[in-house]
Amino acid sequence: MPDLSSRLAQYCADRLSDASGVRVEKLERIFGGASRETYRFELTYGEASNEITRRLILRRDPPGSLIETDRAIEFNTYKAFFGTTVPVPEPLWLEEDSAKLDHPFFIMEELHGFESSPQAITLAPYAQHAAKLAEQKWTILGEISRAKPRELGLDTVMEAVSPNACGERELAYWEARIDRDESCPQPILRAAIRWLRRNPPAPAQKVGVVHGDYRTGNFLYDEEGTIRGILDWEMAHLGDPLEDLSWGLNPIWCFARDGRAGGLVPREEAIAIWEAASGLRAESEALRWWEVFSCVKGQAIWLSGAKEFAEGKNQDPILVIAAWLMGNSQDRAALHALGRLS
Amino acid sequence: MKPEISRFLEVASAHLLLQSAPAISDGYEQSSVQTLAILLGVTREEAERAAARRVEENRALRTLFGEAVPLVSEEALRGRLSEAAEGHDESLLVSELEKGNAALRELLIALHTYVETLEGDDARAFESAIWRELALSTERRRLSLAPF
Repeated sequence: MPDLSSRLAQYCADRLSDASGVRVEKLERIFGGASRETYRFELTYGEASNEITRRLILRRDPPGSLIETDRAIEFNTYKAFFGTTVPVPEPLWLEEDSAKLDHPFFIMEELHGFESSPQAITLAPYAQHAAKLAEQKWTILGEISRAKPRELGLDTVMEAVSPNACGERELAYWEARIDRDESCPQPILRAAIRWLRRNPPAPAQKVGVVHGDYRTGNFLYDEEGTIRGILDWEMAHLGDPLEDLSWGLNPIWCFARDGRAGGLVPREEAIAIWEAASGLRAESEALRWWEVFSCVKGQAIWLSGAKEFAEGKNQDPILVIAAWLMGNSQDRAALHALGRLS
Repeated sequence: MKPEISRFLEVASAHLLLQSAPAISDGYEQSSVQTLAILLGVTREEAERAAARRVEENRALRTLFGEAVPLVSEEALRGRLSEAAEGHDESLLVSELEKGNAALRELLIALHTYVETLEGDDARAFESAIWRELALSTERRRLSLAPF
C-alpha cells in the first residue's frame, strides 16, 4: 500500500504544522471491519528536537458496506466520550473530502495489544474473567445509557427523537433498508415487523445515546479481564437505551453457545448490572419489543451485506460469513423472541 | 464426479486453513484466506442438502396452502393458494427450486398476514401451523457453525 502510505503521510503532515519528517510505517489493514475499512499504522515525525511515534487507526469509508452511516457522527461520538468513564480511543482528525484518500475517513489513536474477538473471550486466558468482563461490559453500557446527550454535545450532532417515537423511527429506518436490500422473501422477518407494529413499545424512559452495535466483539479487553476500549460507534444515535441492551442480549452473540449473554453471564445478570449502572428499568414488555426489533435490525444488516457482495460492490468474504452464518441464526433468534421457537 | 464434491471441498478448506493461510505474512490477507476456508466448509454442508431441503420445503408449503384454502374467503388469495397447492417442482436444479421456493415464501407472507386478521380458534390454530412451518424452515437451513 505504498500509495496509501504516502498520501496518508502527506495528510498527517498537513495536520501537524509544526512537525517535520512525517512518515507512515507498518500500514496494514485490519480484517473484519465490514462497515469501514480499518487500518493500523505508525506515524513518526519530528517535533522540536524529539522524534515521536504514535500508533494510529485509519477508518475509511469503503465502496460498499454492511451499513451506511455518517462517519462524522461516529467521530464526534468518540470525541464526546473520550476522557469519560466510557473508555474510547482519542479521535484526532475527521476528513470528509474524498479527494484526500479516495473516500471520507477519520484517524484516531490505536489502543494497542488488546483482544476483541467474540470467540476468544470464551477461551483461555480470557474465559476465567467472564464475570469481571460482564460487570464492566454492562456497567459501561449503563454509563452510556445514563449519559446526557446535551452535556456531551451530541444533541447537536445526532438527530433528535421524542421518547414515544424511538421505536417507530428505528423500525421505519430498518424496514426501508430491508425493502431495498432483500434478495428473497423473508417470512419470519416480515412477521416480526408486523408484530412490532401491532405491539408498539412504551415511550422510552429517557432519550439517550445509543451506541447502536454494543456487543461482544466491539470492545477491547486484556488478559486480566479489563475492558480497555469501546469501539465501532458507526451506528450511534439518540434513542431508547433499551435498544442497546436488547442488541447485546441477542442470542446471535452467544458465541459460547450456552445461552450466556455475549458469551459472559446469564441474561438476568447482565440486565441487573445494566439497571444498576444506568438507573433505568428494563421492563419486560418493553425489553421484549426491543429484542424482537434487534432481530429485525440484525437481519437487515445481513441482507444488506449479502446484496453488496452479490452486486460486487464489496467482495470481502466477511459479508458472506455474515449472510450465511448469521442470517438463519437471526431468524431463529426472532422466533425465540416471539416465543415461536419450539 | 469422483472424488465427490464434498470431499474436494473438505480437502480444499483444510489446505487453505492449515497450509496456505499460515504462509501468508499480511494479516488481512491471512484472515481473508481463513474466512474463505470456513466458507468452503459451509458450502460443503449446504451443497449436500441444497436440493433436498428446497424440495422438502416446497412440498410442505404446498400442503399448508391446500389446508388454508377453506379458511380463506378473500377470492384472489384463495385462488393463488389453490393454484400453488396444485403445483410441483418441474426441475431439480437448485436455481429452479430456489425460484419456486421464493414464490411460495412470498405467498406464505401473504397468507400469514391474512390469517393474522382473522378471529376464532380455527384461525389461531392455523396461525400456529404457519409458525411451526417457519420454525422448521430454520431447521432446514441451520448450519453447524452458526452461533444460534
